[in-house]
Parts: sequence; structure tokens; C-alpha cells
Amino acid sequence: MMASLRKLRYVAAKDLLIIAKDRGSWMTLLVTPLVVIVVTSFALAPVYRGGSLHATLLVTNNDRGSIGRSLVDTLKTNANMSVQPASEAESQTLKRGGSTYALSLVIPADFSSRVMAGQSSALTVYEDPNSTTSGPFLKGMLNGTVNRFSAVEVATRVAVAEAQKANPAASTAAVAGNASAAATAQMADQPIKTDVRTASGLKTLNTFDIQTPGFAVMFLLFGVMIGAEGLLEERDKGTLGRLLVAPISKTSIMGGKLAAQFAVSISQITLLFAIGHFAFGMDLGNSLLGLALMVTMTAFTATTFGLLLAAIARTRRQASAIGILTILLMSALGGSWWPLDIVPDFMQKLGHITINAWALDGIRGLILHGEGFSDILPQAGVLFIYGSVCFIIGIKMFRFRNA
Amino acid sequence: MPESIVTADHLVKRYGELAAVDGVSFSIAEGQIFGFLGPNGAGKTTTISILSTYLEPTSGEAAIDGISVIREPARVRGIIGLVPQEIALYPTLSALQNLKFYGRMYGLSGERLERRCRDVLELVELWERRDDRVERFSGGMKRRINLGAGLLHHPRFLLLDEPTVGVDPQSREHIFDTIFKIRDAGTTILYTSHYMEEVELLCDRIAIMDRGRVIADGTLKELLKMLGEGGVIELEVSPPGCPAHLEDELARQEAVTSVRHEGNRLFISSADSARSLAPVMQKLAGAGCQVASLELYSPTLEKLFIHLTGKELRE
Repeated sequence: MMASLRKLRYVAAKDLLIIAKDRGSWMTLLVTPLVVIVVTSFALAPVYRGGSLHATLLVTNNDRGSIGRSLVDTLKTNANMSVQPASEAESQTLKRGGSTYALSLVIPADFSSRVMAGQSSALTVYEDPNSTTSGPFLKGMLNGTVNRFSAVEVATRVAVAEAQKANPAASTAAVAGNASAAATAQMADQPIKTDVRTASGLKTLNTFDIQTPGFAVMFLLFGVMIGAEGLLEERDKGTLGRLLVAPISKTSIMGGKLAAQFAVSISQITLLFAIGHFAFGMDLGNSLLGLALMVTMTAFTATTFGLLLAAIARTRRQASAIGILTILLMSALGGSWWPLDIVPDFMQKLGHITINAWALDGIRGLILHGEGFSDILPQAGVLFIYGSVCFIIGIKMFRFRNA
Repeated sequence: MPESIVTADHLVKRYGELAAVDGVSFSIAEGQIFGFLGPNGAGKTTTISILSTYLEPTSGEAAIDGISVIREPARVRGIIGLVPQEIALYPTLSALQNLKFYGRMYGLSGERLERRCRDVLELVELWERRDDRVERFSGGMKRRINLGAGLLHHPRFLLLDEPTVGVDPQSREHIFDTIFKIRDAGTTILYTSHYMEEVELLCDRIAIMDRGRVIADGTLKELLKMLGEGGVIELEVSPPGCPAHLEDELARQEAVTSVRHEGNRLFISSADSARSLAPVMQKLAGAGCQVASLELYSPTLEKLFIHLTGKELRE
């Protein structure tokens, strides 16, 4: 028994030494995922949190009054938006599509006078039909600002009505003018503000919180695919055969190889999380123990998935072809590329046939939703069962000898 | 007569309808180098795979030092060493790292492992290159490390499966020297090759294999005797039917030991082919047979193989 364990350890140590010497493995295990995580995190930051998206709004101000000017000034204070003056003809070209700009605003000539009189007014917005992200984004910001000026109009109307009730002889124009000026000044201070709060307290969403776990799990699976190819290479090149005629059991051989792959997987995901945390401020949630459990279970399941892949494939090429297809499919379905929250319900359900979905449910639950150790036990349990099934099928199907 | 350390008795290995090994029996005396000679696909590697416990035979029995390879494979593995046809090494590890790993698989550790690795590396003359990655070695050097990895645990019985495939003549000489040293140290060796010169040079006994069967077995001298000690007279004669008609008469001529024909070719083995030639030619002329070609040659394993199978060894 001791001798078998010792030999298992020697096999594992040998495999780890081979991986440590292989620069190609390091590229796949660490460098490539890091590059992908960093690039996608920065690129998708605006999509996930809107914080740094910037767009230009064309504005045609036909109004000579103070309200129209105030609206333009307010729009200019938005850090995510540039306001560019334009003629009405220029603004109207957007509706034909193919413009550099996504949205234009036309303020009518009677805008100030109508607002000050407590009358409703209409702003015209032209949108490029081909605009994708920045169109809806600008519309959202524009609506927010316009709503504030609607409030000025409502406040003016209420003030005029109340003044007339109190003193029917009072000058409507004077009341309306004073009320709209006061309301405009009040609105500038934006009396109601919003704070975004998440599990870790007051914070802004960090895209690395989403991207790092997603791609770490995907590249973990690519890592075990390389391991599966290595196992088949050992069989093809005769080193596995040489071990089979040495006084070492198949259990020790396979145990050693799986132990090495498991250690590599744990190290890979831990290093990616550590770099994500220390270099890019990725949140690790409130339960490091829970995170450790999820990392362990994910690495275990990925390792046994690698064994299953080696058992199904007859050659290295097959392992590579089947592996790439399966891993990309699992990553797309399982939420490695985008959070499952944004996909339709049936896709979310379908996604849970993958390792990725269960792993990311647990890991993102800890990181994004502030869940604790006990909350992720179901996901960890499913991963354990998933891994055990892969192990049993893989070990039964794997052919130690070439046909 | 030394005692047999290896015995194989009617070994059969079938893959569906195909019999890769078809009733192979032989024995190897302790301290001998026993050669398996045969073309690719003759069943040499399959036989070695059965003896090394890599494959289970479909039927038959084999034992190493009295231990059944079928019933007690784990015990057999401790006393044998296999040098496979492939370079079964880890290319990115150094020569020393490879040997240490395989040594540990055979239970070596500590000082004993260090010493054996050094001994083996010195034996294959690669001690100076011990820290170099195997992938940087020449084909011959890789073969020598491949051989060394099978020697670390002092096996009683060493199986060498085509250990010189693809190596240069200098490395081949190195490997031969090493094999003699291993034999001199008391290890029994089974050597397979399809190069007859190697088998002739190295082996004390030779089994010639073809299509899964041992078709001849003995010392080199015993095998060559099958062609006649003096040599062979090979003739192409006409008209058709002539050779068959004359076989018995030719066999009675001076010094002739055997006569065989294939089509219109006659193979006459003789203890003294120079003495046999004249009466043979007279007999043929008297019978109205015309000789289209004539060849006289000394017996070789190559000729014996053709004699036994009707085809070239390297076909």
C-alpha cells in the first residue's frame, strides 16, 4: 500500500516536472487566459456598468430662452456625453441612417416660453436606425435630463394654479417665471441621487468580477484537455506501456496522473484569481472558505472531465477536436463568456448541463452576490457528483493499451 | 546444459480471425542471448508483449524463472526488463531524470538509485550528457538511454525489441557492446530483429518467425545446416515438370543432402557443392532438362529464410 502510494507520488511528480518545463503549457494555462480576461474586462466594462461609455449628442437649439439654454448646459455637465451644436438639417440626417452620430436633439423655438407659461412642450429626437450601443445609452441619459425639465414644467404649472387659488388677481406670467426659475435652480442640485450597493458594500461593479471566473473556468477545461492529450501521447509513444510492464499498478499510474492534473488545475485557477484580485481589484467575496471549496470542486470535476475525454478519444487529434468543440460549447452555454442572468430562461436551464454553469453559479454567487459557505454547498455538491460520474465512466472506458 | 529460465508453450494470440501468434513454443537457457528473427508482422513483438505481461495470450502458457506470466504477472514484472521498439522516454526530461523515474518504478531509491543510474549511464557511455534533455540527443543516444532504462533494476531476463532501429553504425556498435556486457553480467536476453547480421552476431540461439509461427529454431550452425553444410546449388530448369521428376534421383548424387523444388527452380543442399555440381548437371542433361541459370552459394540466414518461406526476409 505504502509502495503504491509512493509510486503514485513519483508519477505525479514526474508529470508536474514535465508541465513545469513546458512553456507551451504555461501559455495555455496562464498567459492566454490572463490576456483574454484583461482585454474582455476592459472592453466590456461599459456594457456591464455603463461607467465609461462615451457618446456625442448633436443638439440644435432653436430656443433663445433661458430654459433651452439651461437644458443644453445640463446636458453638457454629463461626463459620459459630449454635446455638439448642429443645424436642424444636420440633426435630421440621422434618421436616414449611416451617420457617425447615434442621436440628435432639436429644441423648438418656443420651448422656454411654453415651459415658463406652464404649458407642455415637445422636444424632437432623431435616432440613427443603425446605432447599436450608444443610441440606447444616449437616449437613457437624455431622458433622465429631460425628465428633470418636465419636473420644472410641472412645478411651474402647480405654482401658477396655487397662486391663482390664493389670489385670482395675481399675474400668471410673473408667478410662472419665478416658479420655473426657482425649480430650474433646484433641479440643478439633483435632490434625489442613487448609490449602487452590492454584497461588499458601497462599490462600483468591477468587470473582472464577472470575466475572471468565467474565463478561468473555460481555460481550466482547456488545461485538462492538454492533460488528456498528454495521457494519450504517453500511450502512443510507449511510455505508458513501459510502465504497465513495470511493478506498478494501473491505479498508481492513473492516480498519479490525475493527482498531477488536479494540482495543476487548482494552481491555475488560484493564480488567475490571485492576479485578478491583486492586479485588477477583483472581489473575492466574503467567504474564502467557500471560494476554496468551489475552486477545489471545479478543479476536481475538470480533471475527471479530462479523463473522460482521454477515454472517449482514440487519438490525440480526436481529443483535441472533441475537446475544443465541447469546451467552447460548454463555455457559451454555461456562462463563461457572459453571465447567465442575461440569457433567456430556457438557455439558463440548458446551460446547467455544463460544468461551467455550476462552477460559476457558486463562484459568482460568492463574489457578486455576497453568498456564504452554506449557500454554495448545493453547487459544490452537484460538481462533486458530476466529477464522480465522469471519473467512473472515464476509468472504465480508458484503454491503457493501444488497439 | 544450463537450465531454461524462459519457457513458452503453444502461445496463441488472436485478434478476431487473425492469429498474430500461432502456437509459438521455445525455451531460453539462462545466460543466453536468444534471437527472434523475422520480417515485420511475423509476431515477434506480440510474443515479446506476452512474455513481458503487456498482453495476455489467447491460449498457451509462458513462464519466466518458473513464474507464470499469465497467473502471476506482477511477480514477473519485478524480474524482467523491457526495452520497447519505441523510444519510451520523456523527451523534455533529462537522461538522468528519465532513469531516476524508471528506477523508482522498480522500487529503487536513495543511494542505490543514484549508483544504479550512474552505472547505467556509464555503461551506455552517456554519463557526461546526463543532464541534457533527451529530446536534444541523436537517435542513437536516445536508443542507448532507452536500453539503459530497462537495466536499472538488474533484471534476470531482458527483452529487447528491435533496439537498433534507425541508429547509425557507431551507435549500433555501442549497443552491441552493451548487450554483450549485460549478457556477461548474467542477464538472459531475448533479442528481436529483422536484421539477420545482428542476430548472427549476437545470438547464441535463434528462432526464425513467420506469420506468427516459429519455423526454425536452433544455434546458427544448426540452422544453416538445414541448407546443407557445404552450400546450396540453385538452378532454374526447363521444361516445366522437369524438377519434380528428378528430385529423388538428384538426392542420391554425391554429397547431396536434400533437394527441393519450387516451380521450375531446384534447390539442392550439399555437404560439398563443388563435388555435387558435376553429377547433378550430368543427371539433368541426361534427363533432357535444360539449365537456364545456376547459382552456388554458402548458407546464410537470409537464404535459409527464403528456403523456408519462399520470400525475402525484408519483404
